Amino acid sequence: MIRGMQRTELVRGVAAVLLALVAIVASPPAASADTAPSAAPLKVKPIVYRERRLANGLQVITVETHTSPTVSVQVWYHVGSRDDPAGRSGFAHLFEHMMFKSTLHLRAEQFDRLTEDVGGANNASTGDDVTEYHEVVPSNYLETLLWAEAERMMNLKVDEENFKSERAVVEEEYRQRVLASPYGRFFNGIAPASYLEHPYKRPGIGSIEDLEAATLDDVVAFHSRHYRPDNATLIVAGDFEQKQLDAWIDKYFGVVPKPSAPLPRFDAKEPPWQSDRTARITGPQVPLPAVAITWLAPPTTSDDAPALQVASAVLAAGESSRLNQSLVYRQRIATQAGFNADLRTGPGLLIAYAIGAGGKSPGDLAAALLAEVTRLASTPPSAAELAKVKTQLVTAAFVSRQTPLGLGSAIGEAAVLEGSAARVNTDLDDLQRVSGADVQRVLRRYVLGARKVTIEYRQQEGAK
Amino acid sequence: MNAPAIPRAGLARLAFAALLAVLAAAAQAQPYTTPPPPAPPRPLAISAPSEGKLGNGLRVIVAHREGVPLVSVELVALAGAEVDPPRLAGLASLGAALMTQGTKRHSAPELAAAAEALGGSLDSGAGWNSASISITVTTPKLDAALALVAEVAREPVFAPDEIERVRTQTLDQLKVAYASPGTLAALVAERLAYGAGPYGHPASGTPESLPRITRDDLVAVHRRTFRPDNAVLILAGDIGADAALALARRHFGSWPVPAERAAPPPRAAAATSGPSVAIVDMANSGQAGVVVAVGLPERTGSERAIGAVLNSVLGSGYSSRINQEIRIKRGLSYGASSVVDARREAAFFRVAVQTKNESAAEVVRLVQEEIDRMMAEPVGAEELAARKATLIGGFSRSVETTAGLAVAIRSLVVANRPPAELKTRIEQLEAVTAEDIRRYAAAQLGPARRRIAVAGEANAFAAALKAALPNAVTVGRDALDLERSDGLGRR
Repeated sequence: MIRGMQRTELVRGVAAVLLALVAIVASPPAASADTAPSAAPLKVKPIVYRERRLANGLQVITVETHTSPTVSVQVWYHVGSRDDPAGRSGFAHLFEHMMFKSTLHLRAEQFDRLTEDVGGANNASTGDDVTEYHEVVPSNYLETLLWAEAERMMNLKVDEENFKSERAVVEEEYRQRVLASPYGRFFNGIAPASYLEHPYKRPGIGSIEDLEAATLDDVVAFHSRHYRPDNATLIVAGDFEQKQLDAWIDKYFGVVPKPSAPLPRFDAKEPPWQSDRTARITGPQVPLPAVAITWLAPPTTSDDAPALQVASAVLAAGESSRLNQSLVYRQRIATQAGFNADLRTGPGLLIAYAIGAGGKSPGDLAAALLAEVTRLASTPPSAAELAKVKTQLVTAAFVSRQTPLGLGSAIGEAAVLEGSAARVNTDLDDLQRVSGADVQRVLRRYVLGARKVTIEYRQQEGAK
Repeated sequence: MNAPAIPRAGLARLAFAALLAVLAAAAQAQPYTTPPPPAPPRPLAISAPSEGKLGNGLRVIVAHREGVPLVSVELVALAGAEVDPPRLAGLASLGAALMTQGTKRHSAPELAAAAEALGGSLDSGAGWNSASISITVTTPKLDAALALVAEVAREPVFAPDEIERVRTQTLDQLKVAYASPGTLAALVAERLAYGAGPYGHPASGTPESLPRITRDDLVAVHRRTFRPDNAVLILAGDIGADAALALARRHFGSWPVPAERAAPPPRAAAATSGPSVAIVDMANSGQAGVVVAVGLPERTGSERAIGAVLNSVLGSGYSSRINQEIRIKRGLSYGASSVVDARREAAFFRVAVQTKNESAAEVVRLVQEEIDRMMAEPVGAEELAARKATLIGGFSRSVETTAGLAVAIRSLVVANRPPAELKTRIEQLEAVTAEDIRRYAAAQLGPARRRIAVAGEANAFAAALKAALPNAVTVGRDALDLERSDGLGRR
């Protein structure tokens, strides 16, 4: 499922890293094969990082490692699709694309000259709560990239022609993701159908109408409102020398002025859901019907977050997960089935979904999804099942932290989305401590004891 | 959990410093107006993998990398969808998918549970020239992971119930593929480029071919494909060559060589008797999928490097020419790109773009113009250096992970190249000249060899496309018949 849009699909972005992490976690019922492991899982070494804050409010986190002669520079702005201005759904994401256009001292696309042309890469992604920009470059280009990120933080200067052509690109991105993909309308429709009032209700990709309404003035206003040092986290991970790096950061980011206007506060609320609701969506090319069921989730900072992550892994991660074994393998009523704890800084969603098979209706799929979630809430997972989830989590952490980009992204998620860089190390311990009773408790609280929204997706009549 | 990371005392000090910084900033905003130059480069060294062989002929290739306690395993058999018989498209792919769905000792759910308990997932699949089983685990789980890989390779049972289940799932996935304009255009372009040749049929099968495949077909293709003298075991990560060879012996040493001889792979030939331009009409499609493709003939080692650099200039990477023209300058697509998709000694070159239906003909024209330019003019020195840097940087990053390293070795092995090329690849790419590229493009990418497929809402672009390419044929999505090698409409 799409959690964030990226500047380009050519390079793996943070959204993809997040998805990969979720997807790799798995947990089947008892391991009966004689190949079952006897060796205990390895401990992931804590990431050793340094954290400081510049006088202008910029949070700086650095991780020195010399496994390859490359370095990743990342700037995570604490602004996301939730901050789209009124009547401008999709704007935070459109804006992200504009950050690759001209600044006072950089030509349009010069970021690509400073990265791609020297053997590096760049990308960016916009999520509900955050917009992150990242580069990976040969480490001798580190100083250049620090200068360039500081430059676009303070001196963005997009012209009308660049704005219009890039807006057209984003409209094509909308068509590709939402209109041309058989399940695009379905996944794009989940948040709008679920939330009653919270700005998370608006799809991050926006609509053609709202994108067309956006202006260059909106770009200028959005940059000055949200793109400021005290609303950003700079992360540098990889091959550098700490003292030299600190001096460069002071030199290039230290001069970025802190605006006198107060930092914009975001504090939207979602009212409690008072009743179960059903929404129906159709599309012109829907080969198999689908269904999603959503419940409100606690924020990323909740003490219940680790148990919800383990619950979603038991249900949905891997071929041997419960939903796959039940709906896809045994009952054969779905081609795929999933459960995602889509936690955010505000109220997130727990999402169970299935795409049908064998002519089953969305109602049949919904009943089967609910039956599996209820079964886990009423009977605890086995010790072997929990052990599996935890082994998968440890392995996934090793896999994602092999590269400077992966290391930096792990830090960014912890620092910006979970509120503290230290979480990058404590999260794994917290997950290891989750018990079967914890899994049951959170499912009872947030799923069985809560209101839900059912989203049904079908072929539009007479369209095919 | 949520405590601020900076202590209170530190904050007070910072607040005072902040005041000074604001004053300083007002006085000297943007003091640095040009990018600082790079420091001296720190080159990347990629080691050559080591190689051994078991008594039964199984090659064992090891890329030892310390630092992270992970190992990626690939067992590769050197035959794939290229050997699918004419009416059985999808046979190799279905067979590879079924290997993990039950062995003599374990059911499909037991195998998935066992692999996932090791922290990885047991994946199997077929390409055009290979079929493989792969898994990535932490080092303490490697022994158990290899036992699973060996069991799946040597003892799959192809139970009738599992065959039916995976067949039905594959047919459902085809319904989704046929509703996606980009996917459909790519399938059609491949058929146009290769006709009845070994790469012309859809490797994932067709709605007609999949129901024809029997259990006997699956057992036979597995027996021919997965044999130690036709397979290569690749281990990449935190494992030394001697330890790897000992593990390989333990799990694969008793794998017998069948009495019958291994069949040689078929030779690829682009058989292009059908139309060269096809429009697939998809009512209400949200975009058009555009593919311009050429089946490239067998290549030498240096032609591989030339093709890779050519592709980097033309269509691979954000700043390639095609993305510059289509996305950056004109806003016609979210991304326009090309690939050179290796087929043992040969390759399939294709440009793929999704655009709004109204722009499809313009996109086809722009892609053709850029290919023409590659044939007509040598690439400028500055652009060539930049695109080589992109390509070499991307390759270097791809082998930073154990799984990426294993895949890079697999690609060499499947292409009949020595694994040591991993070490010399960067030099080979550096050696490519602008004239090499122009000459190769002129020889291989001429208009007569191009095949073009556009899938989408035809009434928005068919007239414009036919004005430029009068030989275009149109077929309705529901009348499309990818079983046919010479054309696209049902008889």
